[in-house]
Amino acid sequence: MTEPLLSVRDLKTQFFTEDGTVRAVDGISFDVYEGEIVGLVGESGAGKSVATSSILRLVDSPGEIVGGEIEFKGETIFGLEEDGAGELRPRDEMLTESEMRKRIRGREIAIIFQDPMESLNPVFTVGGQLREFIEINRDLDPDEAREEAIDMLREVGIPAPESRYDEYPHQFSGGMRQRVLIAMALACQPDLIIADEPTTALDVTVEGEILEMVTDLQEKYDTSFIWVTHDMSVVAEICDRVNVMYLGEIIEQAEVDDLFYDTKHPYTSALLDSMPRPDKTVDELRPIEGVMPEAINPPSGCRFHSRCPEAREVCREVHPDLRDLSDEGAATHTGACVKHDAFDVGYDDSPAIETQTGSGFSAGLTETGGEAE
Amino acid sequence: MSGVGPAESDPDALLQVRDLCKYFDNDSGLLGSVGLDDEFPYVTRSSSNVRAVDGVSFDIKEGETLGLVGESGCGKSTLARTVLRLLEPTSGSVYFQGEDLASLSGEPLRRMRKDMQMIFQDPQSSLDPRMKVGPIVEEPMQAHGMLDEEGREARAKELLEKVGLDPQHYNRYPHAFSGGQRQRVNLARALSVNPDFIVCDEPVSALDVSIQAQVLNTMEELQEEFDLTYLFIAHDLSVIRHISDRVAVMYLGNIVELADKEELFENPRHPYTRALLDAIPVPDPRSGGRDELLSGDVPSPIDPPSGCRFRTRCPKLIQPEAYDMTDETWRNVVRFQRAVKRRAFEETDPDALRGRYFDDGVPSGDAGTLLDEALGHIQRDEWDDAEAILTERFADESVCATAKPAYEVESALTDGRHYAACHLRRDEAVASAVDESALDGAARLGTPEADD
Repeated sequence: MTEPLLSVRDLKTQFFTEDGTVRAVDGISFDVYEGEIVGLVGESGAGKSVATSSILRLVDSPGEIVGGEIEFKGETIFGLEEDGAGELRPRDEMLTESEMRKRIRGREIAIIFQDPMESLNPVFTVGGQLREFIEINRDLDPDEAREEAIDMLREVGIPAPESRYDEYPHQFSGGMRQRVLIAMALACQPDLIIADEPTTALDVTVEGEILEMVTDLQEKYDTSFIWVTHDMSVVAEICDRVNVMYLGEIIEQAEVDDLFYDTKHPYTSALLDSMPRPDKTVDELRPIEGVMPEAINPPSGCRFHSRCPEAREVCREVHPDLRDLSDEGAATHTGACVKHDAFDVGYDDSPAIETQTGSGFSAGLTETGGEAE
Repeated sequence: MSGVGPAESDPDALLQVRDLCKYFDNDSGLLGSVGLDDEFPYVTRSSSNVRAVDGVSFDIKEGETLGLVGESGCGKSTLARTVLRLLEPTSGSVYFQGEDLASLSGEPLRRMRKDMQMIFQDPQSSLDPRMKVGPIVEEPMQAHGMLDEEGREARAKELLEKVGLDPQHYNRYPHAFSGGQRQRVNLARALSVNPDFIVCDEPVSALDVSIQAQVLNTMEELQEEFDLTYLFIAHDLSVIRHISDRVAVMYLGNIVELADKEELFENPRHPYTRALLDAIPVPDPRSGGRDELLSGDVPSPIDPPSGCRFRTRCPKLIQPEAYDMTDETWRNVVRFQRAVKRRAFEETDPDALRGRYFDDGVPSGDAGTLLDEALGHIQRDEWDDAEAILTERFADESVCATAKPAYEVESALTDGRHYAACHLRRDEAVASAVDESALDGAARLGTPEADD
């Protein structure tokens, strides 16, 4: 592989709330190469959506990207440097807000959200919204843009696109609306599409159709995707490489087959074990004990140690970084768990700690009741 | 348990649902059903019903979990609410412990509610944010006059512990709990009146996978401890497969297949069940792709297709007896008919269309003539005429359109009964509730309004 299309290094996004600083994304790094689908999985509150909004610099107050580098096709979407006084300030080559708006968002990087109804304006026709988007972003005149919009609608499998062009979003079913959003995302032929749980709200049959369509279109246009989801089945079906997130950190990175068949991190294994399977009967589910802790005050050491079945004393003290755990010659497979030899911090000799099985439910009591995401 | 054969009383059945229908009036308001016409008498009254649940029968035995699965809009939740008499059934009956709920009302019905409880999908909106958890759990007991104040408090605390919460949370408000914990509060509330039967309407679909597993495990433990019977509704087949003993698959207001869990998942006999099972992504990157996906949308329940409701999307639509095409050719005709109906292409040249849709065989004889006629209409841009020919002369003549299927087949893997509403099962059926005269008349024309 050549240079990555998108490269994220040590990205940190924090929310400054009255209760304290929420470290929603805490130092994640990953690459997206041309033409691949990269998965970003985790439970709610893991920081998946904040990570994707950060890539487009769409984080609003009280949230702020406080550190890290985001490079896209050689341009700096985000990057800081120290000025003379030791204060951090944006680097000169960092794209300005208007460059982001006019050149990057929509044209180079498009995003598809989970709820298609909220992304479409209910008082304008579907075709009109699509046409306007194409008109502005591709500098076409209205008639050409209309033609293009109809072509895109047909491309994503909307029946009778000429007549449906003039219909309003409420006249479309959920799956059809999601298709419209995919048409909108593809309309400017971006190099990267960020899909934020686009099929979560859909029925399995519709989800299947959409996944199939995305795979076809991806082959045709050679677009890269970042696919955000909590569903390991979707990951298994469409992703090439996967990043597993837990509490603001990426804890395992691997090619999809390795992730499922040579799982390195106990959290990933626990996630896979806790799922009921459609293809075989599982007698007993093994749920992950407890709930994800708050990102305001994450556990010391390994953030998963409080729920980890394999936790030992050393996990409480050592904060593992992502290290390459792959065999020589194999594809890169990184994981952040000290039980592997690559860490050598004395895991094998460390006494096991009691996970908070008994108090798991009470430990999860939140004062806000909200989720960090 | 199924609509097939005599509805003999199963002595173990806690709940028997017979031919239950629930229609909603589509025209609300005083003038809702009034339409204007350009001929005398200028004003017409029409009413159309949304047939949300249309002739559903099943039994639930004591202590078992019946899973109910289907796409959104198929009537799962309406069925659950009608079974509990939260909605008044249009027709049919629901026998709970031998009494017909459909005929009860007022105080006797209210007293029956003590034995049947419900858990809803959204744990947030089903708890009053201004009530503390303790009183929330006590409220049903109070409504049914159970225990005194102290006894209720003690029982509430005991139940909170049983569902995996800390009894000290008695004085907390729902907002202090996470989604999974709120669903546990709902469980405790449902259990407080010591019910026999709980309807769970998508209880875990709003929860994260790891939390989902915790709640599912708790529900199974409680079922064992309190000897509960569940009607478990979900759209997620993996969850259904995990928790159910038997599974019913619903499509557009009808149950299309009902069998023991293993039997249904390993030996599905209805094309819709097969399509559903095929559509689920499997958490295994080596599982390979899927065969064929369903296309098209679920038809409107206001005017559902005649016969088998799934026929407009079914990949296995049966060829009308009047024609003698090969299987491939018939598939091509069906595919072409559906494409025309959806206006899925712009091409109007007959030869190009033949090449695109009939590359491995153009039908001959009558069928060929009809197809040529339809292609001619398309060439002249008369899409509606082309659609009418293809629909009325091909799709609507299938036995799937003329007779409503209802068969019981031999179970291959378990000893339970296996109901499959599909005409493909006609020859292997051990029992059938299909009107034979309708089958004989399979070649007659479908009613004009019953197109797909």
